[in-house]
Amino acid sequence: MGNKGVRNMFVFGSLLCFVALVVMTFDTFAQLDSRSTKITADVDKGKQVWHKYDCIGCHTIFGNGSYFAPDMTKITDKLPKSYLKKYLVNPRKVNASAAMPVLGITDDEAEKLFVFLEWISKVDTNGWPPKPIMSKGSSSAAVYEKYSCSSCHLINGIGGTSGPDITHVASRHPEAEWHRKHLDNPSSVVPDSAMPPYAQLTEDEKKQLIEFLVSLK
Amino acid sequence: MKYKSHKIALNFFTFAVLLFLVQVIVGVVAAIQFLKPDFFVFAFNISRTLHINALVVWLLCGLMGATYYVVPEESECELWSIPLAQFQFWATVVAVLGVVVGYIVMGLFPQSNIMIFGTLLLNEGREYIEAPRWADFLIAISAVLFLINNAMTMFKSKKWTGIQGTLLGGMLFLTLMYLPGMFYSSSMVKDQYWWWWVVHLWVEGAWEVIAGALLAFMLMKLTNAPRQALEKWMYIEVALVLFTGILGIGHHYYWIGTPSYWLWVGGIFSSLEPIPLLVMVWDALRITKDTRVNTNKLGLFLATAHAIFNFLGAGLWGVIHTLPSVNKWTHGTQITTAHGHLAFYGAYVLLIIAMVYISVPSMRGVKDYNMSRGYRSFWWQTVSMVMIVFTITGAGMVQTYMERLLGIDYVAVKNDFNSWFWIWRIIFGVTYLIGVLMFVVDYFKIGKEPVTVNAAAAAISESKA
Ligand code: HEC
Ligand code: HEC
Ligand code: HEM
Ligand code: HEM
Ligand SMILES: [Fe+2]
Repeated sequence: MGNKGVRNMFVFGSLLCFVALVVMTFDTFAQLDSRSTKITADVDKGKQVWHKYDCIGCHTIFGNGSYFAPDMTKITDKLPKSYLKKYLVNPRKVNASAAMPVLGITDDEAEKLFVFLEWISKVDTNGWPPKPIMSKGSSSAAVYEKYSCSSCHLINGIGGTSGPDITHVASRHPEAEWHRKHLDNPSSVVPDSAMPPYAQLTEDEKKQLIEFLVSLK
Repeated sequence: MKYKSHKIALNFFTFAVLLFLVQVIVGVVAAIQFLKPDFFVFAFNISRTLHINALVVWLLCGLMGATYYVVPEESECELWSIPLAQFQFWATVVAVLGVVVGYIVMGLFPQSNIMIFGTLLLNEGREYIEAPRWADFLIAISAVLFLINNAMTMFKSKKWTGIQGTLLGGMLFLTLMYLPGMFYSSSMVKDQYWWWWVVHLWVEGAWEVIAGALLAFMLMKLTNAPRQALEKWMYIEVALVLFTGILGIGHHYYWIGTPSYWLWVGGIFSSLEPIPLLVMVWDALRITKDTRVNTNKLGLFLATAHAIFNFLGAGLWGVIHTLPSVNKWTHGTQITTAHGHLAFYGAYVLLIIAMVYISVPSMRGVKDYNMSRGYRSFWWQTVSMVMIVFTITGAGMVQTYMERLLGIDYVAVKNDFNSWFWIWRIIFGVTYLIGVLMFVVDYFKIGKEPVTVNAAAAAISESKA
């Protein structure tokens, strides 16, 4: 092929690839709405606060951004709202050695940020971030083991069958509060529950156990 | 100076070299903040923003300087309008300084980044394109003036060489791909979707096309290889760059909320991206071996080093984490930082440095120049960069294993397990800075010092061959 031929291949081949990208862009955008919840005015306001304080200059979101601070993609699944709001307004009051500076975020801005981050956590990210597959059981699962909950419950096919399978219990009961009441006194939330109460757990154990239970999605 | 237009090229190079120094100094500040977050007047996000924005801007200025050098050379005439080019240069300087001042103000007073006319005044809060909207417009205008001036020069001279056509085509693509970053979307998914058009289609599309054209130009200037053959390989390289790179954008659409077919598109096309980069290495080595080399040994050495490190940093360090099955675990870890550094260094930092050593001597009207400091600066920079990359790749492997596979908390991994890597990065960052200082000094002295024995000896052996 002469130089002209190669050049034409370059120009037209590249244009063709670009057209393919544009077509896929249309297809992708047509699918986006069904891959998350609706964007409310508050979600949008929260996003603007996110930009205003340049959170991306330290954090990642969907794994993109800076690698100086933890990823924000599923943060509202991991941490309760009351904690997050306190942290955003003044991280150094929550944790004296926090590396995150006090940015001057107002209560209202923190509220909007939370709504925004909650929207983010609802986005279908094709399973990212993945569950740590080599985890030897976090300390929260340790409480579960210590009190032999598995003698009555199944998780991923392991355990007993006196009680229900709780592999995905958090999709039925996502709220930590429900689990606290249930552990203290099962009958208070499930009339006539057969499960024994676990009010004897220490406060720390309860926290870890509940964190573990709400992670079972 | 053969052409008065080359004054503009020198202006752009000087501004680029100074920003390069700023970039690396704030890089070291950012590295120290990994251990001591509060040690500087502003927080990490501002030092990082300055670091990566200075990088992108000085590389763009370097590319503009290179173009203002190449186009008069290839067209064999002056630029269409020298005053317009002069204006474009100063407008760029003023806009850039304005943006930098804005970042620093925001660093000192985070509340000062207020909303005006629906856009943020000082910082858009989006990585790499932090520059506020008003600056985006100035940058776009500057780019358009730049394109018009060079295109008119080519029209006027009617010398349509493949090299300058490809160079301008790459510059046009670059300018167009700035636009998807210039509007607001209330969806973070769409925001990142368009954001990657700017970032990915720049570094793995437009900029690589420009690099291909400049590589061909450098090899032509430095050897007696025939233009015909050089341009043919250039077309093949840039064609492969775009055939793999445009759809290779899919490797950024795995986990941002976009449909799962991107796992296939991104995985397949981006895995092929190293191929054109390997062809460029082969091209540079073959031509160095087969043809007679002129006196500018350092120039050819740097051009070849650029091709090799482009392949290693972008190609190799890119492909190791580009498959979805790997990227699922490494996404957004320090592995990405390691790749980002070696890729930018090899593909674009070395490209501009090579263009400087190839064009500045002739623009300053000398045939030969003292090369020893240039070589030393190259080795200081390259060894330090390779060590930074090893260090950070290590940190990334520890992070991937502990945080992503074992499930240990992010902050614990960063503070308890990776701190030695942060210390080593600071040390090699400082040695890198020494290399840059040598380069800055050398830049101002190229062609103004007596030629040393080394260079003279090279010239003699050359005349014998
Ligand atoms: C200067 C860097 C920096 C900036 C800017 C920053 N953060 Fe942080 N952030 C951190 C670091 C580092 C941590 C990890 C904990 C610590 O040391 O404070 C953190 C922790 C957090 C946490 C708690 C995570 C946890 O697991 O406890 C949240 C939530 C958070 N940041 C949200 C934000 C939001 C939202 C913004 C923007 C308004 C923001 N951050 C801006 C550095 C930053
Ligand atoms: C003696 C058997 C037994 C033991 C031991 C036991 N449970 Fe249960 N659990 C049950 C029964 C029966 C139910 C169904 C009634 C109810 O929802 O309260 C239940 C329900 C639950 C549910 C709600 C499931 C759902 O789908 O609604 C959770 C969560 C739970 N148990 C957690 C635990 C934990 C944690 C432990 C260990 C501390 C534990 N259980 C120990 C018998 C047991
Ligand atoms: C000169 C060319 C290149 C440059 C300058 C470059 C630079 C970068 C940078 C800076 C990032 C990080 C972006 C961010 O901050 O979020 C990145 C990400 C990435 N690059 Fe490149 N790159 C180049 C070529 C390539 C190639 C050829 C490949 C693949 C073969 C590749 C694969 C990737 C992948 C997979 C990511 C995403 C990392 C993650 O998931 O966190 N890159 N690149
Ligand atoms: C010419 C040389 C350099 C280039 C091309 C370069 C490029 C980059 C790029 C592209 C990024 C953002 C991308 C990413 O993190 O994925 C970045 C971030 C960074 N750079 Fe550099 N850099 C250079 C030199 C340095 C030096 C000498 C240091 C100091 C040791 C340094 C320290 C950092 C730090 C700390 C970050 C933030 C990384 C993070 O978010 O975890 N850089 N640099
Ligand atoms: Fe990419």
